[in-house]
Amino acid sequence: MFKVVRGRLNIWQVVGSIMFMIVQVIASLYLPNITADIVNNGIAKGQTGYIVTAGMKMIFVSVLTVLASICNVFLASQASQGLGRNLRSDLFRKVLFFSHDEFDAFDTSSLTTRTTNDVMQIQNVIVMMLRMMIMAPILLVGAGFMAYQKNAAMTKIFIVVIPALVIVVGTVMYFAVPLFKAMQKKTDRLNLIFREGLTGVRVIRAFRQDDFEQNRFKGANDNYTNNAIKVYTIVAMMVPFITLIMSGTNIGITWLGSHYIANQSMQVGNLIAFMTYAMQILMSFMILSLIFVLIPRASASAARINEVLDKQSQIDTVAKPAKIKGEASLEFNDVNFRYLGAEKLALSNINFDMKKGQTLAIIGGTGSGKSTLINLIPRFYDSETGTVRINGTDVKALNTEDINHQVSLVPQEAVLFKGTIRSNMLYGRDDATDDDIWHALDIAQATEFVDDLDAKVEQGGDNFSGGQKQRLAIARALVKNASIYVFDDSFSALDFKTDLNLRTALKADPKINQSVVVIVGQRVSTVADADQILVLDNGKMVGLGTHQELKENNKTYQEIIESQIKGGK
Amino acid sequence: MAKDKETTTQSVGPKNPHAVGPKASKPKNFWKTVRRLASYMSVYIWGMVLVVILTILSSVFQVMTPAVLGQATTVIYKGFMTGVAQQKAGIQVDQFPIDFDKIKQIILIVFLMYIASAIFGFVQQFVMSRISQRTVYKLRRDLKAKMKRLPISYYDEHSNGDIMSRAINDMDNIAGTLQQSITQVVTSTVTFVGVLFMMFTISWQLTLIALATIPLSLIVIGFVAPASQKLFARQQKSLGLLNNQVEENYAGHVVVKSFNHERTALEKFDQENATLYKASWRAQMISGIIMPLMTLVNNLGYVFIAMFGGIQVANGGIALGNIQAFLQYMNQFSQPITQLANLANTIQATVASAERIFEVIDEPEMNNDPVDIPDIETDKKIILDHMDFGYADKPLLMEDYNLQVDPGEMVAIVGPTGAGKTTVINLLERFYDVKGGSIKLDGRDIRNMSREEVRQHYAMVLQDTWLFTGTIYDNLKYSNESASKEEILAAAKAAHVDSFVRQLPDGYDTVLNEEASNISQGQRQLITIARAFIADPEILILDEATSSVDTRTEVHIQHAMQRLLQNRTSFVVAHRLSTIRDADKIIVMNEGSIVETGNHEELMAKNGFYADLYNSQFAGNVAI
Repeated sequence: MFKVVRGRLNIWQVVGSIMFMIVQVIASLYLPNITADIVNNGIAKGQTGYIVTAGMKMIFVSVLTVLASICNVFLASQASQGLGRNLRSDLFRKVLFFSHDEFDAFDTSSLTTRTTNDVMQIQNVIVMMLRMMIMAPILLVGAGFMAYQKNAAMTKIFIVVIPALVIVVGTVMYFAVPLFKAMQKKTDRLNLIFREGLTGVRVIRAFRQDDFEQNRFKGANDNYTNNAIKVYTIVAMMVPFITLIMSGTNIGITWLGSHYIANQSMQVGNLIAFMTYAMQILMSFMILSLIFVLIPRASASAARINEVLDKQSQIDTVAKPAKIKGEASLEFNDVNFRYLGAEKLALSNINFDMKKGQTLAIIGGTGSGKSTLINLIPRFYDSETGTVRINGTDVKALNTEDINHQVSLVPQEAVLFKGTIRSNMLYGRDDATDDDIWHALDIAQATEFVDDLDAKVEQGGDNFSGGQKQRLAIARALVKNASIYVFDDSFSALDFKTDLNLRTALKADPKINQSVVVIVGQRVSTVADADQILVLDNGKMVGLGTHQELKENNKTYQEIIESQIKGGK
Repeated sequence: MAKDKETTTQSVGPKNPHAVGPKASKPKNFWKTVRRLASYMSVYIWGMVLVVILTILSSVFQVMTPAVLGQATTVIYKGFMTGVAQQKAGIQVDQFPIDFDKIKQIILIVFLMYIASAIFGFVQQFVMSRISQRTVYKLRRDLKAKMKRLPISYYDEHSNGDIMSRAINDMDNIAGTLQQSITQVVTSTVTFVGVLFMMFTISWQLTLIALATIPLSLIVIGFVAPASQKLFARQQKSLGLLNNQVEENYAGHVVVKSFNHERTALEKFDQENATLYKASWRAQMISGIIMPLMTLVNNLGYVFIAMFGGIQVANGGIALGNIQAFLQYMNQFSQPITQLANLANTIQATVASAERIFEVIDEPEMNNDPVDIPDIETDKKIILDHMDFGYADKPLLMEDYNLQVDPGEMVAIVGPTGAGKTTVINLLERFYDVKGGSIKLDGRDIRNMSREEVRQHYAMVLQDTWLFTGTIYDNLKYSNESASKEEILAAAKAAHVDSFVRQLPDGYDTVLNEEASNISQGQRQLITIARAFIADPEILILDEATSSVDTRTEVHIQHAMQRLLQNRTSFVVAHRLSTIRDADKIIVMNEGSIVETGNHEELMAKNGFYADLYNSQFAGNVAI
């Protein structure tokens, strides 16, 4: 928790807000004192003038309290929200510059939660701290001191009251906290079943299982409701108990006080002041008990955030990066690769050499290493041994930014960003003209559904179908001027015809003709017309050649053809 | 479906009784919805009456106690003053003559009142939590039951996220409000009226001073609350935009990196982050100063009462205990006002939530009106007879379509992506009804049977491999409850499910989780095939598409599908050439409509859309 806050929380704002908090507490502690004086010196002695001056003093102190608390709020909100801002920014930067290995260590939704909800948790706790929790100990000490001063003997009432309060709050929490946790689980279950009812509506109806679903939901609903009733019954006990303890304190003070006054060891006004102090003491205890609820929750969030921030970057940056020059080419030379900490090689002995204008196709089953191979080209991962050369230069001598300028990648899953078609296309190259964009859309067979570059793209491209998104992602990659274009299984969401038209257009394009194209595919028809086809099986290169060559003498390739044409058996 | 999960609202800022949250959405017809919600609670009418009575009693006692306890102070003060007077008169006094018996009596009364108030308070909450939970229980049950009666078109037209948000967020709102707000309204009102009454009985002059602070409070609320709402709305909006950026850039991490867009993404993020910072500290600040301002107003009243009251006591016009009580009332006085202002917001939001839930409950349901089409004697399994169809009010996609399917025939449905191949499935399963003409199953129009009856004849294997959270065994049994264990195991073996299930530590008792991270996508598909086996249907609907599975599993899936197809009438959304060529009939679809029908040879001879589609696989002049 401390680690997350350090360096991101503005110390001066924190110190300032604490200072103002102290002023506010002292001022508010002084108020009952003046009330006591009014009774003791003003009322009891019948001095109306004294009452008026004391009243003025009270107004002054009240205004001071308000000013101090406004300053406290001002600084506390800036400090807490500033912390949130800094934390979010640091997290986002860290994640953005993560390499693949580091990113893979978390999953996307968990990283999103860490950047959004976890930061929010921390931020909220800091607000509470700066505005309430810090107040509790100060108020406790201050009110305790004042009460002691008013009447030392009567403070013994707290010996009874405070343990009683602690026991009540503790007991309730002991029983309620596990029930609250269980309630979260039961809520999740309830939501899960309801959601499954929506996502599976066709299957449910097709198998006539509506009643089963209703029963399943009823079970969860019963379960949830019973638990909720238990929780609220316990909580319902807490409030009356606490009120009773506080009221009891007042009664006790009145009873004891009356005796002290009779003994002349206490003034009447001090009785009223003492009651106010007693309430402040009990209140601060209540606030303090909140810390025990909030801190564990926040420190869980802090731990999750630290996990991200502490991740060290793997790929070492090149001290003196070489410059890429020369004609487009892509060469793999005895490349071996293994994932971090893996026992087995994920790729072994990969060899090929593609020149400009050539197309390399990669085919093989899932888990054969197709995507892994592709990831070595833009140096998402580094090979263990062997070299990957782009335009004749070893990628390990290049920095990733330069590599990314030369390699244009269409990942397996099409990702679009919220904005317009144009903004998504400019993502490929920010100085592309509308003509460039239309040309790319044309090759990608996207003009059949795009007729306005300013058409909106929703978050995640949700207003487009899978095939459309894929084509837009292809167009975006084509807008970029690169030496190597990589399509990672980008054509499988397209039907045969669109797939064919796209590949034909790609071949005919003069710009693409000057580059190397790498296509990963599942369908034989997609890869058949490539200059070279690389057949992968279990991370090993089991064949490299044209469709004809492979068809004649490569067993794995023949099997793939077999399975696709004949449909199994 | 991952995005449907993030429907629970995030709480922003600490819960603060004086903070004014984001502006509540307004219900369209407040009282009508309130009445309807009340009708859900009408069975608990006596419980509600009890709750209200107890709440009133509890609040009344709470309000009365300071006055009674104040009497004790007055007694003490009286004894004190007598003592002082005696001292002045020169009498030696060790002990001021305080009437302890009187005090004892007062304290006892107060104590009993506190106890009563606590008990009433507890019983009230005890009863209310049961009423509110049971009410929401019924509401949830009704919403779920409605889900069963809604037509599929409702699901197609509404996003799951929208329905989930009603089922979760709106339901939570109602539960929370029923639990807390109703009693709070009663408490606040009773407290306000009670406190005012008590104040009047003590001193009408002092009460006027107290009342003078109300306009001040209202000014504070009136100025600060709208500003705070506006800022909170701005914060919420900015937070939403920022979260979108986070989601987007994390999901597209590969793309961001490979296009060298880290810096621009960061720049955009920092910009929005700065906007959020500005909006949120201001929102925090404004909502944070309401409390001190209200305290100030209250303190001003307090001071004036202390001053005037003090002078009156000094002049003997009023008892000290009464001033003490009055000052305590003053502290309780402003609370109900702020609380009621907040409650108005909460209740409005809740009624809007209830309205959204009732909206779903009121949606038109599926009807099952028989049509005037007589049964015919036929040996055809399925007849599409001059059928017209289009979605909702959109133009017809199919017009006057005819098709006859013999028992045991395989019908392939082909077409480019997005051609509307599922439409045919929708019609056969009666997820949608035809607009004209007739679909006959064994010679009988399917609208003259119940939907359950129609679906009894079918089993489906779709690309979307939906399985519910439960054991593998229960998922298999899902399609046919009367299936014996032997039948289920036999089907599992036939569908290549048995071998991998036995490798799982819990075997058939393995619980599939929602993301099904414990088995692969391909294995899920195999389970759905086994499930269809167990249903042992006359007619099979099958989507052949297998997405990203390894070669071995793919072979298994094809194998299992082949077995499933044997000796059954089937409709197959076909992706494999072999299936298409072997089909008895091929329905060719494009842009939602059926463009051609026939067998492979007929369609090739026609040299139309199908021939074009088929030939494109062999283009590039490479013979496969």
